[in-house]
Amino acid sequence: MNSTSRKLPNALARTLTAIATAGCLFSTAASAEPLEIGVLLPSPIADVGWSHALNEGIAAVKEKYGDDVNVSTIENIQEGPDADRIMNKMIGDGQQFLLLGSFGYMNAGLKLAQRNPDRTFLHASGYKTAENFSPFTAKYYEGAYLMGMAAAELTKTKKLGVVSAFAIPELISTINGFTLGARSVDPEVTVDVIWINSWFDPAKAQDSAKALLAGGADVLFSNAQDTPSVVTVGEEAGAYVFNLNSSMKEYAPTKYLGVVKTDWAPFFVASVDAHLAGSFEGKNEWLGMNDNVVVVEDWSSDISADMKARIDAMHEEIASGARHVYDGPLMNQEGEEVIPSGERLEDGAILGMDWHVEGVNSPLPK
Amino acid sequence: MPFKLQRREHASRLMLIAAPLSAVVLSTIVCSGLLFILNKPVGQTLYSFFIAPFENFYSITEVFLKFGPLLLIAQALAVGFRAKVWNIGAEGQMIVGAIAASSVPVYFVDSTSDWLLPAMIILGALGGMAWAAIAAFLKTRFNANEILVTLMLTSIALQLLYYLLLGPWKDPMGFNFPQTVMFQNEALFEPLFSGVRLNTSIAIPIIFTIVIWLFMERHFGGFKLVVGGLAPQAATYAGFSAKKAVWVSLLLAGFAAGLAGMSEVAGPIGQLQRSVTSGYGYSAIIVAYLGALNPLGIVFAAFFLAVLQIGGDVALVSANLPISAVHVFQGLLLIFYLAVYTLVHYQFKPIRSASLSATSDHVT
Repeated sequence: MNSTSRKLPNALARTLTAIATAGCLFSTAASAEPLEIGVLLPSPIADVGWSHALNEGIAAVKEKYGDDVNVSTIENIQEGPDADRIMNKMIGDGQQFLLLGSFGYMNAGLKLAQRNPDRTFLHASGYKTAENFSPFTAKYYEGAYLMGMAAAELTKTKKLGVVSAFAIPELISTINGFTLGARSVDPEVTVDVIWINSWFDPAKAQDSAKALLAGGADVLFSNAQDTPSVVTVGEEAGAYVFNLNSSMKEYAPTKYLGVVKTDWAPFFVASVDAHLAGSFEGKNEWLGMNDNVVVVEDWSSDISADMKARIDAMHEEIASGARHVYDGPLMNQEGEEVIPSGERLEDGAILGMDWHVEGVNSPLPK
Repeated sequence: MPFKLQRREHASRLMLIAAPLSAVVLSTIVCSGLLFILNKPVGQTLYSFFIAPFENFYSITEVFLKFGPLLLIAQALAVGFRAKVWNIGAEGQMIVGAIAASSVPVYFVDSTSDWLLPAMIILGALGGMAWAAIAAFLKTRFNANEILVTLMLTSIALQLLYYLLLGPWKDPMGFNFPQTVMFQNEALFEPLFSGVRLNTSIAIPIIFTIVIWLFMERHFGGFKLVVGGLAPQAATYAGFSAKKAVWVSLLLAGFAAGLAGMSEVAGPIGQLQRSVTSGYGYSAIIVAYLGALNPLGIVFAAFFLAVLQIGGDVALVSANLPISAVHVFQGLLLIFYLAVYTLVHYQFKPIRSASLSATSDHVT
């Protein structure tokens, strides 16, 4: 990479890039430097899971821009001082657009963003923002609600089990969405949760899944687990199972309920577009079915046609905004009314959720 | 012609110096071969590893940032290893040191007192020592193997850390993410230059190294410690205590590792979080051996490994090397060193047919 473009004043450089992008219409704008995109991932990319889904999203950016972007991906980097140094090095190497794939990269990433206002940062799962620093999260609860409806139809014991990573709002609201969906079909269904405090601990995830089955659950939800361990346990034990981020159907060919997939491609492509146009604005990006980021697919064929029709209708309503998963009346675990009928839980309350809805048996870790 | 390994009468000074150097050369060669097979740019990777860390001022300060904790822990471990006390759990002692030190800013969130940092230093050291003391007690009282105990205590320390981060010490404004509050400036070491992460805590390993050098090389206590480990019975006759060797070795390591953990949370990290050690507790074992358990040798070894780790990070970004390749390089280094180190105490002798019967000192 030559350094002349970096020496140009920032605004000029941006204008030039914008012109160059527009210039694609007339020529291939051979003069344009490719946009340097750096991706930092907490786990190996692998065939399934979190990092895999992020990588797929970036692949869409590559596909759209071809030689106009140059993506370098660094996987399996533990959060901590070393990750901070690597980010620093990425900035030093001239990367203009950084995708930080884990919550723990937040504080160091934000510092870098403040020091480098001409670069753009996307940060997974965090809550801090800056003008050039956008945290992004998926509204998993929207998809989980639909899964809950299917689970409620298929369960015989009326008990559902969740193996879950950390008790952060993102995952709590997903479990609550799942529970609300299930109880909208059958109010007798209850949900047990085991928090294993890890994104990646196959042994613990398997043990927890077996414990939930032993406790009577016959549908499992692998909540933010980066391995197919819970899914394989479900298949072996004959319990329906679903998970987030990317499809694990091949690990449970007969008992796979479906996947609440995240398709980051539209969001990543839009962000790169905005960066190139100089119009990127850092804000809390909270993306759901309406943004085509949360996608529910690979439905089990055991779901009745009736129920599938109900699920599809609900999918329409949620995606169009006619209905919201957190429409009242909402009760908490203690049976107290949180939101009365006719009202809707505010976004802030979902983003900071620290309570369970009625129907979740397990207490939240405090 | 067949060879045999024969014990030297005296350890070879030449080999003592040649061993780490040849380990470096051999692992570089093997690593280059692997890179070639992987179809990675060999020249650029070696450049990333050995030259890039010195390319600019920031990189150099980062090398010293890594050098500090490696040096500190390795010096203490080496004292124990010379006394044949195998403390593999510096990692855990480091974690508990970091926890103990973090209690100060966690419980005095709003304090701006000048005593915050000194209190953290003391608590960090005590925390590490307390954790190591468990292993020392079990070893001296029940003769429990310290390798297993220290290693397992590391797992327990990790669980303790997770418990605190998810429970009582969780940042109330942190949306349930497992981390404490960010520490106030008074609870952090001052950066040495503006804009870099290298901070005043670098003084600790340097002072510690001088003290260890004086203790081991110039003081009778160091000798007693070594004898107590090498020949416990002889030591007892001479009035030295093998138990004392265990206690001194482990407490010293706990002290150093605790301080290292404290320097991390009060330095580049600035809060207590799930990963605080960067694996220093384990890397320091490599450093101690690469430095031939010698205080001066360890200085060089710690510096070398720091360069290698910074270089590894550069290689990840600039040469697009996977992180496992960096680990392979570091592993090769230790294996080659241990192999070549044999030649410090042994030498190759050609076996002549006549002398075949007289190989009483043949190594088995």
